[in-house]
Amino acid sequence: MTRDVFVFVECKDSVPRKASLELLSVGRRVASQFSSGLFAVVVGSGVKDAAEMVSGYADTTVLVDDESLADYGWDTYGSVLEGILKKYEPMLLLGTSSMTGKDLFPRIAVRLQAAMISDAVGLDLEGEGIKIKKPLFGGKVISWLAPKADSMVIVTFRPNSFTVGNAGDKGRIVQEQFTAEANPGIKRVSFEKTGSKKVDLQEADFIICGGRGMKAAEHFVMLDEIADLMGGRTGASRTVVDSKWREYDDQIGKSGKTVSPKLYIGCGLSGALHHIMGMDTSRVIVAINKDPNAPIFQYADYGIVDDLFAVLPALKDELKKTREDT
Amino acid sequence: MKVLVFIKEVADTEARIIISSDQKDLEIENKYTVNFFDEFAVEEAIRIKESLKDVEITVCTFAPPRAVEALRTTIAMGADRAFLIDSRNHESDDPLIVSRILAGFAGKEGFDLILCGRQAMDDESANVGPMIAEFLKIPHVNQVTRLQVSGTGTAEVQSEIEGGKKVSEISLPALLTTQKGLNEPRVPLITGVMKAMKTEIAVLDPVAIEIPFGSIDRETSKIAVLSYELPAKRPSVSIIEGASPEEKATGLVRALKEEAKVL
Ligand SMILES: Cc1cc2nc3c(=O)[nH]c(=O)nc-3n(C[C@H](O)[C@H](O)[C@H](O)COP(=O)(O)OP(=O)(O)OC[C@H]3O[C@@H](n4cnc5c(N)ncnc54)[C@H](O)[C@@H]3O)c2cc1C
Ligand SMILES: Nc1ncnc2c1ncn2[C@@H]1O[C@H](COP(=O)(O)O)[C@@H](O)[C@H]1O
Repeated sequence: MTRDVFVFVECKDSVPRKASLELLSVGRRVASQFSSGLFAVVVGSGVKDAAEMVSGYADTTVLVDDESLADYGWDTYGSVLEGILKKYEPMLLLGTSSMTGKDLFPRIAVRLQAAMISDAVGLDLEGEGIKIKKPLFGGKVISWLAPKADSMVIVTFRPNSFTVGNAGDKGRIVQEQFTAEANPGIKRVSFEKTGSKKVDLQEADFIICGGRGMKAAEHFVMLDEIADLMGGRTGASRTVVDSKWREYDDQIGKSGKTVSPKLYIGCGLSGALHHIMGMDTSRVIVAINKDPNAPIFQYADYGIVDDLFAVLPALKDELKKTREDT
Repeated sequence: MKVLVFIKEVADTEARIIISSDQKDLEIENKYTVNFFDEFAVEEAIRIKESLKDVEITVCTFAPPRAVEALRTTIAMGADRAFLIDSRNHESDDPLIVSRILAGFAGKEGFDLILCGRQAMDDESANVGPMIAEFLKIPHVNQVTRLQVSGTGTAEVQSEIEGGKKVSEISLPALLTTQKGLNEPRVPLITGVMKAMKTEIAVLDPVAIEIPFGSIDRETSKIAVLSYELPAKRPSVSIIEGASPEEKATGLVRALKEEAKVL
């Protein structure tokens, strides 16, 4: 086993995801500490440009570009990733705890008998080892874990766990050929694109989230306009999703998505624990609620106690002004 | 057809959790429930049984003995048999070990379909399902939102993947993890509860199951828990005052820009 650090790069529409760049940035820190190499792994079809884009972050980019990898599958991508890992024998593989990450890495961990720590939010270096920060019980407790050093370690992180550093000089790109082995027991029948929204909810820097206080589906236009203005996303509480005002894809909380944007604004939601569990790792939390005793204010950095229907138009104008200034 | 459902009993959202003074242990208030996503798995198994002939539903958990209560809940819903693999004296922080044990159980019994939840609410790892599938060398589909099992050894499965919804045809045996939207879990009827109280729940020693997938000794765990701590507390909220909603909005944006520096 080498002491190299690998990052599995996920692409969306052939562009590397921000979450993967975050991992390359933290991977650099680890690789420097261990005086080892930082590798980016780019797997897919038509992903040569993506490899170019990430090559400024890594010493080496391992590229597997093949038509058989056009659609993601744990079987095909798994066999290619397994081939790469067996050839290069890194000490550490970093990935995102995205839907793809949750599908792919557990199987890889079994194949390589690797230590697996998933859904982490932080990493500390300590002399010869690494310490991984992982929330438990919806963020009620933080645990610190250490992988034992005698095997390869796979760690997946939530998006927005680290900031993206600057790209440096372009590293080398090594094109590899590994056969994608499709599992005969599983056949893709069809695929329907949903969530055509520009930004992924979990990757968004800015989230404005609506609760029952929004009163009706059509009022979410106000939130969508602010989200678009800020290049972010609209989220929803479960009550909103259950009322069919928004899709489940937008739900934040214990039974929905876990998000940690730079700025989260909650409008007309009470701050039930189930909801808080999905967003309390956000950097800055703002609550807009007409009830000064709403629990959400216990978790917020800033609060406005007022009718959201009066605040939101003014907020939109103010945000627009700051956008225009910069 | 044999359907196996793996469930985990997890601390309720409301349960108080106390970190020991040396930060090495957790004391969890005795409020536990069946993991949110596992209820969809149990419900789906029952629906398969209701639509096909000759279906037997087995539910299994690797947990301390108190989790027989969770297993009884699943019997009350309509599962046929339940097993508790006793986790005392065993490692449960390393998903590889947990999965080895569960895969060992599944492999020994032999099943056509295995259902797990999408993820457990306590560790949110989402590892155990696909890991079991890999040990058993069977295909899996994650985050299933629709399932149609034909009587002929295949199933049509709709699932959520990055960017959309996929429909796949999968040949059995296979493992599926369940996502919200798949169904509405039923509330047990009183007759079910009565049956569940009378049902014998077998408690197994993991060492007695011969597990062909590697060691389950604590020493072989690849993960060490160093410490637990409380999340960093936020300073108390700063309420933006103002004579009108407009003033408050202006004040907020100023604070976000100048103080919090997030705009
Ligand atoms: C197992 C389980 C899992 C769950 N998972 C989730 C989850 O993932 N995500 C989630 O969100 N919830 C989840 N819940 C539900 C959760 O417990 C709450 O019921 C839910 O979050 C409440 O939604 P809300 O805040 O939108 O509505 P409410 O609690 O009804 O709050 C509405 C708020 O809007 C305010 N308001 C009303 N009108 C106005 C106005 N004009 N201007 C300003 N403020 C106004 C009110 O003062 C109130 O505080 C879960 C529950 C369970 C049991
Ligand atoms: N100890 C366990 N016993 C039985 N099933 C489990 C156990 N741990 C996890 N599972 C199953 O695996 C799923 C994912 O769990 P996790 O990988 O811990 O997020 C759960 O929803 C359960 O279906």
